[in-house]
Amino acid sequence: MAVFMQSLISGILIGGVYALIGIGLTLIFGVMRVINFAHGDILMVGMYLTYIIFTMLGIDPFVSVLITFPLMFLFGGFLQKVFINRVLNALAQNQILLTIGLGLIMSNTVMLIFTSDYKILTTSYSSSTIQVGGGVSVSTPLLISFLITSAITAALYWFLLKTDTGQAIRATAQDRDAAQLMGINVKRMSIIAFGLGAALAGTAGALISPTYYIFPQVGGVFTLKAFVITVLGGMGSVVGATLGGILIGVTESMSAVYVSSGWKDVIVFVLFLLVLLFKPSGLMGKSRT
Amino acid sequence: MDKTILKAIAILAVLGGLLAIPRFVDSPYALHMMILLFMSVMMGQSWNILGGYAGQHSVGHAAYFGVGAYTTMMLMHTKQIAPWIGVWAGIALVVVVALIIGSICFRLRGPYFVLASIAVAEILRLSAINLTTLTNGAEGILATELPPFKVGGAIITDFATKVPFYYIGLFLVVLTVGVTYLVQHSKLGYFFQAIREDQDAAHSLGISISLYKNIALVLSAVLTSLAGSFYGIYVGFVDPPTVLGLDVSVQIMLICIIGGMGTLWGPVLGSLVLVPLSEALRSNMITEALVKIGLVSPESKIGIFLKENLSHAHVLLYGILVVVVILFMPDGLMGFIKKLAKRRKQEAV
Amino acid sequence: MRKHLLALGASLALSPCLLAQKIGVINSMSGPEAPIGENITNGIKLAEEDLKKKGINLQLVWEDDTGKPQISMSAMEKLATRDNVVGVVGPYTSACSNAVAKLAEKYKVSLLIPAAAKEEITRQGLKHVFRMNAPADKYASSLIDAALSLGKPKTIAFVYENTDFGTSTSKTAKDYVATKGIQVVSDVSYPKGSADYRSTLAQIKSKNPDLVFMVSYVADAILLMRQSKEVGLQPQAFLGAGAGFTTTEFAKERAISESVISCTQWTDDVSWPGAKDFGTRYKAKFGKEPTYHAACAYASMVIMAETARNAGGDRAKTRDALKAGQWNGVMGEVKFADYEGFTNQNNHQMLVQQIISGNYETILPTKFATKKAVYPFPKWK
Repeated sequence: MAVFMQSLISGILIGGVYALIGIGLTLIFGVMRVINFAHGDILMVGMYLTYIIFTMLGIDPFVSVLITFPLMFLFGGFLQKVFINRVLNALAQNQILLTIGLGLIMSNTVMLIFTSDYKILTTSYSSSTIQVGGGVSVSTPLLISFLITSAITAALYWFLLKTDTGQAIRATAQDRDAAQLMGINVKRMSIIAFGLGAALAGTAGALISPTYYIFPQVGGVFTLKAFVITVLGGMGSVVGATLGGILIGVTESMSAVYVSSGWKDVIVFVLFLLVLLFKPSGLMGKSRT
Repeated sequence: MDKTILKAIAILAVLGGLLAIPRFVDSPYALHMMILLFMSVMMGQSWNILGGYAGQHSVGHAAYFGVGAYTTMMLMHTKQIAPWIGVWAGIALVVVVALIIGSICFRLRGPYFVLASIAVAEILRLSAINLTTLTNGAEGILATELPPFKVGGAIITDFATKVPFYYIGLFLVVLTVGVTYLVQHSKLGYFFQAIREDQDAAHSLGISISLYKNIALVLSAVLTSLAGSFYGIYVGFVDPPTVLGLDVSVQIMLICIIGGMGTLWGPVLGSLVLVPLSEALRSNMITEALVKIGLVSPESKIGIFLKENLSHAHVLLYGILVVVVILFMPDGLMGFIKKLAKRRKQEAV
Repeated sequence: MRKHLLALGASLALSPCLLAQKIGVINSMSGPEAPIGENITNGIKLAEEDLKKKGINLQLVWEDDTGKPQISMSAMEKLATRDNVVGVVGPYTSACSNAVAKLAEKYKVSLLIPAAAKEEITRQGLKHVFRMNAPADKYASSLIDAALSLGKPKTIAFVYENTDFGTSTSKTAKDYVATKGIQVVSDVSYPKGSADYRSTLAQIKSKNPDLVFMVSYVADAILLMRQSKEVGLQPQAFLGAGAGFTTTEFAKERAISESVISCTQWTDDVSWPGAKDFGTRYKAKFGKEPTYHAACAYASMVIMAETARNAGGDRAKTRDALKAGQWNGVMGEVKFADYEGFTNQNNHQMLVQQIISGNYETILPTKFATKKAVYPFPKWK
């Protein structure tokens, strides 16, 4: 029972961070219909940013989110304006290759600057835990990052539902042409959406920095995970990505114990294919062809 | 003279030249680069049939490459079955795998198809890691000793040099380009392109979408698996990341897209650019060449900087190349050349 | 005419004082293996400097193999036939070394592999392939012997990355514990780079093993130990194989790394000639601690360069001298011997070390020991 509870709790907590990565990707896809293969690399840039802020200015990674978020927003907006914008109407594989190319540029530029060494960001609480009884423990940094994730997600819901810009973004995601006819500045919405997506990925990077490690090629693992989460929740659905992230976190954690840790990723991909086949709109998405 | 005859003569001349190369070039390094070039053409051209002509942009072709490479290597390693027999088992298996993958992925369109193709390839990669009794897991299969190739008791070659690999590679390139040519100039090719241009319209014309998609997939998969088998035999070692990894799929797609999708010579052109370029960047030959022609002195700051960093930065330059091509030549090099030629014609008029 | 030129070239190459020794380096300088490859690059750069001081000029031809076997082959073809090097040091990964070894044999160029772990590489009877480091099986036997000499463990749990290194190390370890009567209670492989091992570790905890044997090549080691502490996994000893457990970053994480037993090919506090000095100068030059890869690469380059110089840049003579020679340097005594099915394999002495007060201290073999081992593993605070 302790093993089960431990797996469930750590699965949910790690799933929170996955959700943040997935939400970023789903926003970008929802508004632009572009599959962003550089998503993991953007997360990596966020990690290095956190690392610089921590080592140079001594600012705690969780606090530095306040700096990382706006900087990554600008970075994402820049990427959209200079690169992605030009391929919005191009073939899907050209968009994919463009983002792959951008990812290669990001990871290799970082490699030239920082070398490819692993960077470890050690805080005073990196290995501290809270005992919750029954032999089950919770990692303090993971719990904090889960709480921050929840706060950011809530703020994002509020932004998308209640503000004019948020509603304009949702309108663009629903029907780009109609939104344009309604007088929405679609180009601006795209820049904001990509900026937000990058900011969320960067924030996720910042949040896992204290419990993970940093190196230039770290992005690849997260890019694939983000795809799975996004599709699971329904491409473009923020609620779906939130649930998808937690579902993946728990699936990984549980299948590592009850199936085998070598096969856990296979289970995730099989789940992914099943959803694609039998509910292609995702768990929360509206049907769209 | 008729344009097609001219073209045919040019192709035969190039082919003749390629056949004669090993007679005049005895540098194994040069032959090795040619063999890598052949592999690249095969990979790009195989993808072209499905991605370029039928418009189904798979980012999971490593699945077929890996199945081909693994089957041949496993049979050679554990059952001592010669690769030219094992390759047929690889083809048979890859047809089955392709049909299964097709039955899953072809229900999906656009980005969903892309993601599903990635997922399937990843499942195969992870399975190769975990099915240790079958595939030897992450340790991979090492089989460097090739049995001599015999016809009726006479040894044709014992694979001691690069020359037999060169001719096998050349033969496979001719085969893949030939198959693509036949596809392009047959009813099949028209059906593929109809599906690519407008799936629903093709359907309403009575073209069986799923049948022709599967034909394109099987053709493409079989040729990719041949490339994979060739890779395995030539390198003598396969393991999950090098033959089933996501970057293999991306590489395959890249050759075709850089060169020009849906054109017969696009993947050839793409390989002719990518293979030498990445080798020159990787091995610092560009710096060497700059030094040789006297543009950069090896002791100068620029010379030292280039020497220290260029080989580290080659993947960065590769990434920049990809971005530039996609942004400024969305139809690949072939498309770019055609556009230039057209413009010149218009100017002439 | 061509023959004359060749002869002229050969005679020039035979005058050792005039020409620099042309030696090839194949290494993973970019791509996923680059973080470790960098240590090899640095080790070789330091060797180049030191050799220059000794009056041996090197002309190194650097080749990046990006961690891919076929690219490694391109590099070897180029080095052997276009650059005409005397010998080659590298490649880093086992996959690349496997692909390149047969080419070295074909072109009769000596290949000195500094740090690839796979046993098979030097088990194919190849005359021109030499290896400096001890292969993967040594990790397992050294660590388990250490645990057996310290206590009486009855059960063991394995956690290892599902890479070539992880699988082959744990495979030999499982075979080895079977001969020692230790029961395997848990056998878990994980994909490199996972963020969460808590559920797996909690499951292992429920089996209550005496030993936990982990294989991690990268920073996963820190995550594994942090999360072991979180879930309260408490064996008699944590045994760590692979570079992940032997970095200073790992030792610096004192809350989780203290008393972990690991084994390595090299440390800078071992009494091998020049080891300490190498460590100091490496830190001064590159601003970080040397790993065993750096030391292996350094020693490999020094041996290759000196041998090539003494052989007058002749390939056949270099290979014979490598085979016959014996050296004593930063890697201790080096000799490329044939034993237990290996050919040209340096029967390197592995060092078992433990983190005591935040420092790596050698605990076995006894003649190199700097501190007495702490056993069993103290209770988590």
